[in-house]
Amino acid sequence: MPIHYHGYARYAGTRRPPGQAWAVIAGAGLRNMLSARPFLFVLLFAWLQFFVRGVMFYLAANVPQADVIAPSPATFRDFFDQQGFFVFVVAVYAGTGLIANDRRANALQIYLSKPLTRVEYIAGKLAVVMVFLALVTWVPAVLLLVLQTMFTGSLSFVREHAFLIPAITLFGFLQVLLASITVLALSSLSTSARYVGMLFAGALIFSEAVFQTLRGVTGGTGLSWVSFSANLAQVGDVIFRIEPRYDTPWGVSLAAVAAIIAVSAWVLVHRVRGVEVVT
Amino acid sequence: MADSIASFRGAALRVFDLGIGQMLWSRRTLFMALVAGGPVLIAVLLRVLAALPVFDGGVGRIDGRPVSLDGPDIFGLMIWTFYLRFTVPVLGVFYGTALIADEVEDRTITYLFTRPVARGAVLAGKYLAYLVCTAVVVLPSVMLVYFLVVPLLGGSIGRNFPVLLLDLGLIGTGLAVYGAVFALVGAWFRRPLLTGIVFVFGWEPIVVVLPGYMKYLSVAYYLQGLAPHAMPQGDALSVIQAALTSVQTPLGTGGNLGALAIIGAAALAAAIRVVGRREYVLGQ
Repeated sequence: MPIHYHGYARYAGTRRPPGQAWAVIAGAGLRNMLSARPFLFVLLFAWLQFFVRGVMFYLAANVPQADVIAPSPATFRDFFDQQGFFVFVVAVYAGTGLIANDRRANALQIYLSKPLTRVEYIAGKLAVVMVFLALVTWVPAVLLLVLQTMFTGSLSFVREHAFLIPAITLFGFLQVLLASITVLALSSLSTSARYVGMLFAGALIFSEAVFQTLRGVTGGTGLSWVSFSANLAQVGDVIFRIEPRYDTPWGVSLAAVAAIIAVSAWVLVHRVRGVEVVT
Repeated sequence: MADSIASFRGAALRVFDLGIGQMLWSRRTLFMALVAGGPVLIAVLLRVLAALPVFDGGVGRIDGRPVSLDGPDIFGLMIWTFYLRFTVPVLGVFYGTALIADEVEDRTITYLFTRPVARGAVLAGKYLAYLVCTAVVVLPSVMLVYFLVVPLLGGSIGRNFPVLLLDLGLIGTGLAVYGAVFALVGAWFRRPLLTGIVFVFGWEPIVVVLPGYMKYLSVAYYLQGLAPHAMPQGDALSVIQAALTSVQTPLGTGGNLGALAIIGAAALAAAIRVVGRREYVLGQ
């Protein structure tokens, strides 16, 4: 067998412009999650409410006596509210291990030694969680709106409530972004996905427990800004143009949501590093 | 028979000795300290508020609204919201599922199982360590909250002391039962944490408000039935639960304690059996 000389060879492949590497991370993450059958069951189960509401929309459109269950903007707001549990479950399932497992396997250094920036890495991981969360929130909500139009055979509901499409999109994006970036930030803090899951659950439930205690003591809901979920709910009510459920000004709730997102982004940027300097 | 029981007990105590150190001096203690320290911080905050003019010199007004609760009521509220609904199930899930899952995740279960001790004794010892570890951290937290909150707005520490003892017993029971249930989940399921979270935050809050027998398939129903404080009615589910409780025949203290004892013992026995028989395959 002849032995060939292997010297320097120029890269002969196609060069991708910078800024697209996040798609590789996102694609790998999505494929990895979709190959897990239990996760598919979770996603399917999360669509249960969509099917139930679809039947209700059909009845409301075709049975005159079923007017009482006719959809309204509040119906779509309730839909997001009730999907909250699945947002939590999918975030824990899909998001907790995304960075923690890479840190555990010391893969972060390998990733970041490739033509991949930290921002691209974070964006890719964020895209994985956001896609799955959008699949259980924004996608079914938009499809419900489409179903409503198709069952009634008229665009009158959409015309009357033209704000619903941007409201669904805006609130869906906010809900998905908040859950995704928080769980990713926590994932970057640990090497154990289970620990991250517990931290995420603990933060959510603990903040709610603090709010419920303060609510009991003060007899009012003016301190709802201490709870993650209450802040999101308050902002959601305003986006869907329904009466806000708490006494806290919605601007304060929005500021709290923005602060959580900003802190999470800061944590991500500071924790996702190729080299850790140990002193 | 007596020899095997003595051997099992000796092995469990050795694992307990090893496990208690690992549990107390690990990163997880930080999580437990946060979980148990949170209510104490809130209690301190309430004490500070009570000292400020916010409470109108002890009359109890916030934002012009009268505070209708006194110290013991606030303590009861905190026992419900922080301990019964948060700390006890969360620590049960976190530590209970970790008893075996941690060893599988760290690939150290092989070393434990190659020791000349019964596999079940490993779980039993770790479970005992969990109980001691959580009790040592959580029960003092309850006592601190009691002494900080009960004297507020005219509450009496002495008069309410029996309630504190009841609460301590209740929380200890909760930690024991939830720990046993989630030890079984950890030994059985591949994704124990997710299963535990779905059970505690998805299944239990729903079934306890459903009419019929579904609520008997939870731990929370029996545990909450023993609580000496009135149920807070902040969210919609609590309002429904309180309404249902008022029209249903409660099991009574004996019934609730019996149910919890059966659940705890059965779950622990099942977990020991699962660990003893299951072949753990460590993934790549």
